[in-house]
Amino acid sequence: MDASLFGALGGQLLGIIPLGDIVFYFTPLNLFMCAAALAFTFLIAISQTESQVEAEFGSLHDREVKVEKKEFKIRRFLAIVCGLATAGAMVTGDLFDFTLFVCLIGIVNIGIVAAVKQVDVLDAAYQYGLIAMIASLPLFGGASLILASAGTISLLQLVQLSYTTPMMALGSILVFMGVAGESGVAPFFATKAEMFRTPGSPFLLIIHLSSLLVIVRMIEILLIINKPF
Amino acid sequence: MKSLGRIWNALANPDRIPRLYAVMLGIVLIVGFLIPLALNDHQLYPKPAPQSQINAHNPLAPYDRGGTLFQERGIVKAQYPQFAPAIGEVTAYLSPIAILVKKTTLYFGTSIYSSPGGLIDEILYYTRGFDTVLESSILMMAFTIASWVALNFTMRRKED
Repeated sequence: MDASLFGALGGQLLGIIPLGDIVFYFTPLNLFMCAAALAFTFLIAISQTESQVEAEFGSLHDREVKVEKKEFKIRRFLAIVCGLATAGAMVTGDLFDFTLFVCLIGIVNIGIVAAVKQVDVLDAAYQYGLIAMIASLPLFGGASLILASAGTISLLQLVQLSYTTPMMALGSILVFMGVAGESGVAPFFATKAEMFRTPGSPFLLIIHLSSLLVIVRMIEILLIINKPF
Repeated sequence: MKSLGRIWNALANPDRIPRLYAVMLGIVLIVGFLIPLALNDHQLYPKPAPQSQINAHNPLAPYDRGGTLFQERGIVKAQYPQFAPAIGEVTAYLSPIAILVKKTTLYFGTSIYSSPGGLIDEILYYTRGFDTVLESSILMMAFTIASWVALNFTMRRKED
């Protein structure tokens, strides 16, 4: 691997972790996003759930709304897995590996949304599950189109290609649609279901963070494949 | 401006988002039919010509990669051969049951016996092994969520 090629990756290459054909690589941007995801995951792992105090109507009593320990534990577990998957998606140097990380984020997001015991939230989780299922088609289909048209799906090799065929552009757009469906629409459903005001909410913020980071990374991958500049 | 507000309000309904997404995806896929089908001949993970191994009456078809266990390397390619030093060495391994089945039928390669005690797909388990780890974690998380939801929402409804 030639050191001069890594300028196109969007920064100086700080190091790689080789796992066979799947090579994790670190540029300053990737490393920063990965570290942000890991730091937030650590904060989630040590945080307690928040409980709300509701004023009762017609009396002077207050009612404390708490989350059961069981529900708290499953949501914290899913949030931690989501954070780790986000951190992995930031540094992976393989397109198919990236789609798998995004698929893991999507599955876990559905779980976080679905673990709330409220009917409205479960309705929203059902709709989100439908989108995530539809989105797995363009996600993996786009990655396989890029493999078929470029002959490789390693980002470190794709960045060295001097051409972009229309097929590769279509594949990257399909991957983008898939990422939008798996992770991009998650904050919409979480917000529509008013999950950020339900008890035990701080874990849900990982949905927002993972969605933001994954979209930024997806745009970086679009630039790597299509080379518009 | 009033109609734009109506559109936003309509989009704010979670029921409509899957339909909108499906329509947009359908448009992209239909446009995709117009794009010339330019495939690359130099594939990273090559396969033998279709039906060639079956026509040669190879019982391992279509997964025969050749080679002898620990002596002669089979035909397995990797993107970064420097990170896969032992590539191709165990791709010819067959378990005793697999050898027995291979002797009795011509269709061993496509039968259920072919994994895991039979042909070892080195692309799946060695050069791209981390993909397999991720795939199984996706499955594990899916089963975790499904069983949690079933236990807490479906089977214990009377407690609510």
